[in-house]
Amino acid sequence: MPPKRKASRVAAESDEAFQELFQPEYKGKKLTDEINTAEDKWNLLPAFLKVKGLVKQHLDSFNYFVDTDLKKIIKANELVLSDVDPEFYLKYLDIRVGHRSKTPNDKLVLMPPHQCRLRDLTYSAPIFVDVEYTRGRKIIVHTDLEIGRMPIMLRSNKCILDGADDNTMARYDECPLDPGGYFIVNGTEKVILVQEQLSKNRIIVEADEKKGIVQASVTSSTHERKSKTYVITKNDKIYLKHNSISEDIPIVIILKAAGITSDLEILQLVCGSDPNYQDLFVVNFEEAARLEVFTQQQALNYVGKRVKTIRRAGAPKLSQLQEGIEAIATTIIAHLTVSDLQFKEKALYIATMARRVIMTMHNPTMVDDRDYVGNKRLELAGQLMSLLFEDLFKKFNSDFKANIDKVLKKPSRTSEFDALLSINIHSNNITMGLNRAISTGNWSLKRFKMERAGVTHVLSRLSYISALGMMTRISSQFEKSRKVSGPRALQPSQFGMLCTSDTPEGEACGLVKNLALMTHITTDDEELPIKKLCYMLGCEPILGVDSATLHDEGNFGIHVNGTLVGTTRFPGKFVENFRKLRRTGKVSAFISIHTNTHQQAVHIATDGGRICRPLIIVENGKSKVTAEHLLKLKKGEWAFDDFLVHGLVEYLDVNEENDSLIALYEENINENSVPTTHLEIEPFTVLGAVAGLIPYPHHNQSPRNTYQCAMGKQAIGAIAYNQFRRIDTLLYFMVYPQQPMVKTKTIELIDYDKLPAGQNATVAVMSYSGYDIEDALVLNKASIDRGFGRCQVVRKNTIQLKRYPNHTKDILSGMRVDEHGNPIFPHQALGPDGLGEVGARIENGQIYANKFVPTNAGESALGGASEPTNVESHRETPAYYKGPEPSYVDQVMMSVSDNDQALIKVLLRQTRRPELGDKFSSRHGQKGVCGIIVQQEDLPFNDMGISPDIIMNPHGFPSRMTVGKMIELISGKAGVLNGTLEYGTCFGGSKLEDMSKILVDKGFSYSGKDMLYSGITGECLQAYIFFGPIYYQKLKHMVLDKMHARARGPRAVLTRQPTEGRSRDGGLRLGEMERDCVIAYGASQLLLERLMISSDAFEVDICNKCGLMGYNSWCTTCKSSENIIKMTIPCAAKLLFQELLSMNIAPRLRLGDVF
Amino acid sequence: MASPQREGFSIPSSISHAALGQVTSKSLGVKYNCAQCAASFSLSKNDAIRCKECGHRVIYKSRTRRMVQFEAR
Repeated sequence: MPPKRKASRVAAESDEAFQELFQPEYKGKKLTDEINTAEDKWNLLPAFLKVKGLVKQHLDSFNYFVDTDLKKIIKANELVLSDVDPEFYLKYLDIRVGHRSKTPNDKLVLMPPHQCRLRDLTYSAPIFVDVEYTRGRKIIVHTDLEIGRMPIMLRSNKCILDGADDNTMARYDECPLDPGGYFIVNGTEKVILVQEQLSKNRIIVEADEKKGIVQASVTSSTHERKSKTYVITKNDKIYLKHNSISEDIPIVIILKAAGITSDLEILQLVCGSDPNYQDLFVVNFEEAARLEVFTQQQALNYVGKRVKTIRRAGAPKLSQLQEGIEAIATTIIAHLTVSDLQFKEKALYIATMARRVIMTMHNPTMVDDRDYVGNKRLELAGQLMSLLFEDLFKKFNSDFKANIDKVLKKPSRTSEFDALLSINIHSNNITMGLNRAISTGNWSLKRFKMERAGVTHVLSRLSYISALGMMTRISSQFEKSRKVSGPRALQPSQFGMLCTSDTPEGEACGLVKNLALMTHITTDDEELPIKKLCYMLGCEPILGVDSATLHDEGNFGIHVNGTLVGTTRFPGKFVENFRKLRRTGKVSAFISIHTNTHQQAVHIATDGGRICRPLIIVENGKSKVTAEHLLKLKKGEWAFDDFLVHGLVEYLDVNEENDSLIALYEENINENSVPTTHLEIEPFTVLGAVAGLIPYPHHNQSPRNTYQCAMGKQAIGAIAYNQFRRIDTLLYFMVYPQQPMVKTKTIELIDYDKLPAGQNATVAVMSYSGYDIEDALVLNKASIDRGFGRCQVVRKNTIQLKRYPNHTKDILSGMRVDEHGNPIFPHQALGPDGLGEVGARIENGQIYANKFVPTNAGESALGGASEPTNVESHRETPAYYKGPEPSYVDQVMMSVSDNDQALIKVLLRQTRRPELGDKFSSRHGQKGVCGIIVQQEDLPFNDMGISPDIIMNPHGFPSRMTVGKMIELISGKAGVLNGTLEYGTCFGGSKLEDMSKILVDKGFSYSGKDMLYSGITGECLQAYIFFGPIYYQKLKHMVLDKMHARARGPRAVLTRQPTEGRSRDGGLRLGEMERDCVIAYGASQLLLERLMISSDAFEVDICNKCGLMGYNSWCTTCKSSENIIKMTIPCAAKLLFQELLSMNIAPRLRLGDVF
Repeated sequence: MASPQREGFSIPSSISHAALGQVTSKSLGVKYNCAQCAASFSLSKNDAIRCKECGHRVIYKSRTRRMVQFEAR
């Protein structure tokens, strides 16, 4: 990829983050320093991230979609013909997004993404097509016809931020550290999560040992259709099953139908010469003979008879034979295309499936593992967008065609018909379709019967990490309710591809995964050149292979994307040659090849969605990357791609990884009978971006790392460099964020140190005051006063001023005043324009936007002449501020959304200091709430006068086993004393021994324990206290957002019971279980009070004669007031009686005296 | 909050406006800033929301000139 490399070099020069790499001194190493390959090869990682980046898979996939896939879609649907006029045609010649044909390098200047966010618009670029069509007798070519607008992924090659340096980014109000990879639709940032699914067009063999069923299935997926073909066993006989065939077809019949009529050849294709397999298979011939199917024609008739046909109206009826041919050619194993009735390939495919089934029947361990990562494919934004676009484009064309037909049907036209006039009518469909799918997340494609909800998510902007974590997330298609552990379990093949720690707890545990740091997801590659290459490398074409020798010992089948294309007798040599070509760059680096000795097959994969990662090539026991190469990297002469081009590093996917021997460290390389083939670039890349924040994770109990991965996303911190320009629904900022004292290499690579979320707190691990039990923390009041854990919460409030069809519109109005000329209380924060004054304090019950809605908005425009916009004809609909604490008006933004309505966003800000009950956590899954805030005077202090910011109860350690946290404290303490930042990188980092050495040198105990004095008595404490800095995060769960109490308050209209929930100021429910307790206790009067008097007491008039309810002391049923008795019942009970009455059930009350 | 002297605030009573003859284009005296060119200008009731200098369509209300008291804690 030379052009890309060039681009990355240009970007590199501007990329400040990597400027460091080119400095004469890098990470304390000079150019002249001796280079130790074992130590320094990790420098490949930043180089990799520079070209690939963490969200590169999203960008690559989207770029592939816009640049390549769109053209393919156009090609596949290029002609629009008319049923009426045979002369007419319209042909799509080309398609482009974001630039016109004449200026291929000049992108259209799009509205900057940040403006789209502010104005609730969609960040999109026009889609241009070139068309050729007939007008009358002439053929006209029209270029740059806009057929819609395509939402653009941020930082993709169609985005204006592509290749922008920091200054340009700042000019566009964008954060240079923002990863991109998401869309902006109607002002909200939407991510299309990576979807994990079973690979398409591959045979998967499964067995149910209890039922004795073996099945081989393949999901064929083409542009037109998606179908699944099974080869299954039933009573030890083998059948082919397909949804569009009503009955299972015996395997021999289907093979005969596919043109293999000789029983001997069938036996050769399925079983080879293995007598075990032949014995197992032989019953199938009997089955076919009993059904009297011997020839191909008989077989085709047999199949054709059982095909479920759904013919479109008007299509000619086919004979049984034709139906059979059609079924074999198009519906069964649909991804293999058949031309000229050459069924051999398809027959071989079915035979291969049957062979796999036979093999599994013979040896049940030959099944495939569904959960094996090599059998999975990841579907990215580009693929999903392409499915959606093709669907919309087809719809667009059929609408267009219907429109043309309607016009052409008219016998005489005044002017010559120009098709372009009607094409523009539908252009909104594509735009709206794309926007709607992305903003709702519902992908419904009729073609594939695909109905997927929740494909997109709103990008979480809680902190930088939460946004980054979202970009690497992978969601699985498995249902969450199924109780199978397989898909949730950690797969050994996940190593280095998917993060081992980062998964949510609870129902989605193990189903939602995250990418590891160095993964890449492939995009589709051309299959045909690879097939040709195979033939060049000495593979015998399958059509020329004698069936008898196909499964001979030592004869390996060569499969390209799961389809047998040929055989070779020298698989080792073949694979070696192929790899050599790949390493020299003659073949795309992302094509994988591996040998499967059990199946005697060589598999080549070119399809998209495979997970792969780079590894250093080892040859003859030597790493190919040497000091000299790393020196070039350091000097900036080489980029990561140069390592690829020179064949020093290569990408391996999971299947090929299984075919290699990978050494973790250079000293593990050996040249024994099984020589090492690859060397790991850096072991800590088994973790993802979020798990990479944890210092010393290899010293922690593994669930703790998983907990931290969940909590790291809830930490309040810096969000982006443009955080104060953003107007999001809810944002949290930390006021004084600090970078951690104990960093990891991952932290530097993902720029967490530039946008941190937490503070280095001095922690004393001791018991204090008893308010620290159950993980509660003791906070130092003086620390809080100095800004520890202080955060800001900004909340957006949107006001839209609508325009109505009768020329009236919503207006804003100024404030009302009392008799002294002062504004009334709710209007105190308002300015003369009816909007909150920027900077003003706004309290509960005050108004920040004084909006008025016209009273006659529903009336038609024709009636009254449009009234002048005065307050009299409007109704007041002000926006009130509600909250226990006042806020300040931070910003008032006014703009116009795309439908020309005024859009006003009022941003309200609160600054919060930590209070009792606020949640904090360290980076080791150790969360706790603030239990007490203590004056600094009362806290313990050491001989230097230092008192802790946080006191943590030591009971948090023994059961959690978070040793990493202890080492973090010691490393942090050493760093503080030494004036350095220490590293806690996974499988590496600063050594505890060295840290202890520093502590001792600085006059502290090696163990990190200090002698402290009691702040209350002044005596020294009885024990030495483990004391030092630990990075603490403030989590978003704050008491202020959750506190709720109610004595009296609103009631629901229908039942008259108290409302539910904090947002409605609801009551606290005394539920069934509480009720049971009260009954058991015998306090029935309390029950009466709680459940009726304090809730929904209602006075009813009951007629003791008919037992029904009356009103006003009058029974409407008996027409008398004689037997009316007043009594109190719960309103809900009254409602029940009335509802029963409405259903023709008469609940009659009979009243009697109790006492 | 005690009511401080409100600068730039005029009581919106229609009678006084009518008397002064400023029914049309009553500028409320609120300043707005353009998000692009940072120009400061005021808008009247019926003006379109856009910068008077550069025509940019995102504008911010400028900070109040009222006194605001913060609790420094």
